[in-house]
Amino acid sequence: MLRRQWLIARTIFVEALRRREIYAIVLITAGMLLLASLLRFFDLQGLHKFYHEVSLKVMTTATVLTVIVLAARQLPREFERRTIYTLLAKPIARWEFLLGKYVGVVLAGLFCLGLFMGVFCLGRLFTQAPLDWRLFGQFLFMQGLAIGCLAALSFLLSMLMGLDAAIVTAMLIYLLGQVMTNAMTVVYEFTGAAGRAVLITLNYLVPQPALFDLSAKVVHEWPPVPAWVLGLATLYCLMFVIPYLGLSYALFRRRAL
Amino acid sequence: MGNHAAIEVNQLHIRYGRGARRHLAVAGLTFQVEPGETVGFIGPNGAGKSSTIKTLMGFQYPTEGTVRLFGEQAGSIAARRRIGYLPEVSLYYPFMKAREVLELYGGLQGLDRATLKRRIPELLERVGLAGKGETLLKHFSKGMQQRVGIAQAIIADPDLLIFDELSSGLDPVGRYDLREVLLELKRRNRTIFFSSHELYEVESLCDRVIMIHGGRKVADAAVPELMEQLKAGNGGRGQSLEEFFMGLIRPAEAA
Repeated sequence: MLRRQWLIARTIFVEALRRREIYAIVLITAGMLLLASLLRFFDLQGLHKFYHEVSLKVMTTATVLTVIVLAARQLPREFERRTIYTLLAKPIARWEFLLGKYVGVVLAGLFCLGLFMGVFCLGRLFTQAPLDWRLFGQFLFMQGLAIGCLAALSFLLSMLMGLDAAIVTAMLIYLLGQVMTNAMTVVYEFTGAAGRAVLITLNYLVPQPALFDLSAKVVHEWPPVPAWVLGLATLYCLMFVIPYLGLSYALFRRRAL
Repeated sequence: MGNHAAIEVNQLHIRYGRGARRHLAVAGLTFQVEPGETVGFIGPNGAGKSSTIKTLMGFQYPTEGTVRLFGEQAGSIAARRRIGYLPEVSLYYPFMKAREVLELYGGLQGLDRATLKRRIPELLERVGLAGKGETLLKHFSKGMQQRVGIAQAIIADPDLLIFDELSSGLDPVGRYDLREVLLELKRRNRTIFFSSHELYEVESLCDRVIMIHGGRKVADAAVPELMEQLKAGNGGRGQSLEEFFMGLIRPAEAA
């Protein structure tokens, strides 16, 4: 049974491997990181922190953009190429098809993140900046969770609206999620009952990628987070992924093609 | 399995839209295709052919009526296990090689790796793409992609083949090759159901023809039977399937 999902997932992974766009993004990122790493020649104290901050932010943002675009365009592209008809003519259930697509997008996102990692590690050869590899591993794990969450959200949006609208909306939600955690804490105290209800609703509806972001810890060389935090973050991620994918399936299950 | 018809369509109605935009694409269509038959499904543009075929595949749902394939509900996994389908136009993943595309479709059909390894080169040769297995599909012409489409449709040697607009996008050589593939499948007693605008193709390949117009069946007869009717000068409807077709369609359009 898993073979069918894997076959669908593999097409997305192969596409990610063979399309030039991802490598272009990686090259641009590499250029930016190289510039950041060259700054060490001025021998400024703590400059490696600047390198870490820039590179982790750039890597995170580029991965997020890639995942959103990749996830949002999966189904519209299948309709455009009409491959949806030949694929669903085979004995594969629609949930298997969706799950395969989702797994493929997550794998492609991780591949993209892996490429950025390579660039990051190359940059570190120049800067020789200290890095806690355990914390860095945790950072990557949390990024994987963020990828899973955003891929599911973009998938759902692509079921509800056109490709361009889905991409823009997913990016807006991502940006909103980025500032929400801090903004809500401040705003909550100054708002009335109705406002608080809106904030609480938003809190449960919109995933907050800031909660998955350990880049500040990596930059400032703080200690790694305890395992239970990673466990809670995984649950938090599943709290969004499961309903998003469930809703996507509900919309797709009986959809006329 | 039992003695079920390969295709059983009963009082099929398909409606699109709502309110003033409501449009009846198929109106009470009933027909059967027996195992081993080759049936052509013809009609002018907008007659309801593609809607009917999409319903057979489970891509669309009947507003009323039932559609069963080998006794199974259309679109069910059990039904799809026994079908090979080729849509009118289909572009395959441009970033994949022909071999990889066939591995994907064969794998979805449940074929194991060893079978695929053996069958893919044979299939590519059969559809005129010998030695092209390692070429990315972005380098294939539309006709070559359609050949890949034929290969994916027959990869698991299905009991029933459903082609929407047979030979669409193929050049004369491609059409000839496809006809050869279909004749061979026909000799092996496979059921073939296809829509086409090429009446010569229908005439030369089919045991039976179902003609629809305005979502309704206007003819359903074996090709020799139709030819007999023509020879008998039935209503002056001409001497070929094409003329018979025109004889049925034109008066309906005039009315």
